[in-house]
Amino acid sequence: MTNDPREAFVQEVDELLEAMESALLSLEETPEDPELLHTLFRAMHTIKGTAGVFGFDPIVDFTHRVEGVVDGLRSGERALDEPLIAILLSCRDHTLALVQAVLEGEDPSQVSADLLGRGQQLLDRLCPEPVGDLTAPVASAPDGYGAAKVEKLAGREAADDYWIISLGFGPDALRNGMDPLSFLRYLGSLGEIVDIATRTDRLPPLADFDPESCYLSFQIGFQSDADKATIEGVFQFAEDDCEIDILPPRSKIEEYLALLDDLPEAQVQRLGEILVKIGALTEKEVAQALAAQAADQASARPLGEILVGRHDIQRSIVEQALDKQEKSKSRVAQEGRYIRVDALRLGQLITQVGELVINTAAMRVAVQRRDTDDLQEVVERVEALVGDIRDNALQLRMVQIGETFSRFRRVVRDVSKELGKEIDLVVTGGETELDKTVVEKLNDPLTHLVRNAMDHGIETPQERLACGKPAKGTLQLNAYHDSGRILVEIRDDGAGLDPQRIRAKAEARGLVEPERNLTPQETFRLIFEPGLSTKDEASSLSGRGVGMDVVRRNIEALRGSIELDSQPGQGTKVSISLPLTLAIIDGFLVGAGGEQYVIPLAQVAECVEIGREQALTHGDRHHVNLRGEVLPYLRLKEFFGIRSGAARKLRESLVVVRVGHAKVGLIVDELHGELQTVIKPLGRVFENLKGVAGATVLGTGDIALILDVQQLTALLQAHPQPQAVSGRH
Amino acid sequence: MKDLTTRLASGEPASGDDGASQYLTFRVADERYAIDILDVKEIIEVGRLTRVPMTPDHIRGVINLRGRVVAVVDLGARLGKGVSTLTKRSSIVLVEVASNEVEANGEQQLLGMLVDEVNEILEIAADHLQPAPDFGTEIRTDFIHAMGEVDEGFIILLDVNHVLSVDELARLGEMAAAATERPAEV
Repeated sequence: MTNDPREAFVQEVDELLEAMESALLSLEETPEDPELLHTLFRAMHTIKGTAGVFGFDPIVDFTHRVEGVVDGLRSGERALDEPLIAILLSCRDHTLALVQAVLEGEDPSQVSADLLGRGQQLLDRLCPEPVGDLTAPVASAPDGYGAAKVEKLAGREAADDYWIISLGFGPDALRNGMDPLSFLRYLGSLGEIVDIATRTDRLPPLADFDPESCYLSFQIGFQSDADKATIEGVFQFAEDDCEIDILPPRSKIEEYLALLDDLPEAQVQRLGEILVKIGALTEKEVAQALAAQAADQASARPLGEILVGRHDIQRSIVEQALDKQEKSKSRVAQEGRYIRVDALRLGQLITQVGELVINTAAMRVAVQRRDTDDLQEVVERVEALVGDIRDNALQLRMVQIGETFSRFRRVVRDVSKELGKEIDLVVTGGETELDKTVVEKLNDPLTHLVRNAMDHGIETPQERLACGKPAKGTLQLNAYHDSGRILVEIRDDGAGLDPQRIRAKAEARGLVEPERNLTPQETFRLIFEPGLSTKDEASSLSGRGVGMDVVRRNIEALRGSIELDSQPGQGTKVSISLPLTLAIIDGFLVGAGGEQYVIPLAQVAECVEIGREQALTHGDRHHVNLRGEVLPYLRLKEFFGIRSGAARKLRESLVVVRVGHAKVGLIVDELHGELQTVIKPLGRVFENLKGVAGATVLGTGDIALILDVQQLTALLQAHPQPQAVSGRH
Repeated sequence: MKDLTTRLASGEPASGDDGASQYLTFRVADERYAIDILDVKEIIEVGRLTRVPMTPDHIRGVINLRGRVVAVVDLGARLGKGVSTLTKRSSIVLVEVASNEVEANGEQQLLGMLVDEVNEILEIAADHLQPAPDFGTEIRTDFIHAMGEVDEGFIILLDVNHVLSVDELARLGEMAAAATERPAEV
C-alpha cells in the first residue's frame, strides 16, 4: 500500500485521467451517453477536490473551469461535438502536465507562466465568451441551451409542466410582518407565475374573522429554471409562519431521474442525501421529514413514505433513489474486495515464494536420501501447498491486457487525424491475462508497431478507394493464450510489405548475400535487422530505420519472439509470442552430457525412449520416425558441443516439444521429471546467448539452464548440422 | 587465505594515511597479478560450475552463490593465456563491475573471476605506481590499471572494469554464438 499521500494522488489522477480519456474517445461515438459525461465530470471534479486538499492551486483553477464546462454538457446546456472533444482531450493532457509540474516544482501553488498560458489558451478555446448580443447563442446553437428553453416555453401549454408551490400562510403571518404578496412578487423575479389559485377554505365565518390573521393559501403554477433550493430560498423569511410545499414539474422529474442514474455508485449515501444532491429536495425538507419521522416513531414509517406524504416529492423519484442506493451498496461491497498494493511488495513476495520453492526442492532431495516414509508424506503435502502458494502469488501479478490495448485508442485517433487517414481500431481478447511486468515492458514495442501499421501500413482513403478497399482502414489488436504462452497480434488491412523492396534494401545494406535464397518468411524477418527501413522518407512517426530491431530486442528480453507476415495489398500481421510470467514456471528436467536442463513443461508434448536405430539421417537433415511421423530432432549433448567421457548411451530419450504449430524432438540422456522452476536471470554477460532463457537452482544446489525451445529450433532450422558444432570445453 | 578473508570481512580501511592502497594478489598462468582490494567482494573456493553452452572459452560457466546465479570468467583465458586447469588451489574472486559502460551510475553486476591461486594483500604506495607501458606487455594494455613496484620487481595491477567489461563479454558472447551457428566458417 502506498503511504505517501502525494503518490496516492498521482495514482488517482492517473486513473481518473485514463478514465477521462477513454470516456472522451467513447463519446465520439455516443456523444450523449450520460454515464460517460459523468465520468468526465467526476475526473475533473475529483482531481479538483484532491488537488485542493494539497493546495495545488493551479490544478484547482484549471480543473474547476473544465469541470464547469463538463457540467454544462451534462445538463444538456451545451452539446458535445468533435472539436470540443479534441479540446477536452488537450485539457486532460494539460491536467497531467500540471500535476507533473506541481509535483516537481518547489512551490506547489506555482507553476511556470508558460504552462499557465497554455492552460489559459485551452480554457479560452473551451468556453469562448458569448458575443455581445445575447440572442446570438440561441440562434447559432439550435441544439444547445437555446433550444432547450424554446422547448420549455412551447411546453407551456402542457398544464403540468411547472413547479407547483403550495403556500399555506399561518394565522400569525400578517402580525409578524409578512406580506404574502411581496413573496409572490419576489418569486416572479425567478421565473414566471403561470397560474395562481387563492384558496380561501380556511376563511372562518365572518363573526370569527380576525382582520389581523391570515387565512389565505396559494397554489401557484410556476415556470422557472431555478432549482428547488433557490425557490425555497424565496420563502426563507416566511418559513416559520408558512407551510411550504414545492413539487417539481414533470420535466424536472425526468431530470431528477436522469441525475439519479448518473450518480456515482462509489459510496453509499442516505436517501435524504441522495435526494438533496440531485436537487429534488432541499436540506430543510429532509430535516423536517426526519424530525417528523423521529416524532412519530410508533408508526415507523420510512423516510421516503413521509416525504411523499408531505408532498415534498413525487413517489417515482423516491423509488428510483432507493433503487440507486441499493446499487451503490452492492458496488461498494464489491470495491471493498480490492486492496491497493505496492508492486515492489508483490515482487518481494514472489521472490520469496521462489526461494521457498527452491528450498522445498532441497528438502525433498535431503528426505529422499534418508528414505523414511512418514517424512516423504509430509514433504509431499508441503510441496503441494507450496505449489498452490506459488500459483496464487503469481496470479496476484496478473493483469488483463485490455487496459494496455485501450490506451491505443488515443494513439490511433490522434495519429490517424495527423496523417489524414481513417482508421478503425478493433480490440479483441482484452481479457487475456499476463504478468504486469511483461505488460509494462510490452507498451513501447506495441506503440511502435501500432504507429508503424498506421504510418506505413494503412493507406490514405484515396489510395484505399483506388484499390477497391473501404476508405476506412482497420487496425486490429488481439491477444490469446496458446500452450503456455500469450500471443499478441497487431494486424492491419493496409498495403502490406513488399518482399522485393525489403530484399533490395537488405542487399544494399549488406545484410544478405544476393545469391542467397530466402523464403518470404525469412525475408520479412530481415525487417527486424538493425538499420533497415522500407519507407524512403522518414516521417515524424516512424521510418528512421531504428525501431524494428529495438522492438525485437525488447520482445526477446521478455523471453518472447516476434514474427511478421504480410500479403501485398492485403495487410500485415505481426505476432508476438510471450511467456506467461517472468518468475516461476513448471519445468521438465532432463540430463544431457552430465549437465541438467529444464524445458518449459507447457511446451513438452511427450517423452519417448528411443533406440539409435530409430534416428534416421537423410542427407544433412536429422529426422526421427515417431509413429510414422517425421520429426526433426537435435541431440542436445552434441548440439551444445559437450564432450563427455561417457560413450553415447544405447538408449536415449526423445522429448517432443511444441513450437508454435510444429513439433521438434530433443534427444537427451536422462529424464528427471517435472519440477517447479524459479527463473533466475543469467545476467548481462549472457544477454546475446540464444537458446537459453535463464537458469534455475535445483534442490541439490546445482544450477540447471532453462532452454528456450523456440530459439533452439530456430538455430536448428538455420543450420541443420548440429553434429558439426565443435566443442571447445 | 583465512587471514585474507577475515581482513576483508572486518572492513579495515584499505588505504593507509600515506596514500597507499591495498591490493589483492593472485596467480594466473604462472604470473602474478593484483586488483584493488576495494573491488573484491568475496573469495570462494571452486565448487560446482555449470557450463553454459555456445559461449566463448573465457566464460567458464555459472555458479550458485547463495541462490544467485553468477557468471564466472576464466581469467587465464580472458588474458589470452589459455583455459585454466582446475586444481585444489583454484579460487573464484567475486568482483562487482559496472554493468554498463555508458551509464556510469548503472547497475552493478557481480561476476566471478577464476584464478589459479590467491596469494596475499599488498600495500603499495601511490608513488610506487607507474602507468602501463604502451607496448611490451603480454596482455592488452587497457586491461592494465598500473604497474606496481614491489620488492624490486613489478606486478601488474589489473583494471577490473576493463578485464571484466560486461559489455565486451556480452559482445564476445554474441560473436561466439554466431560462430557456433555457422560451423562451416569456424
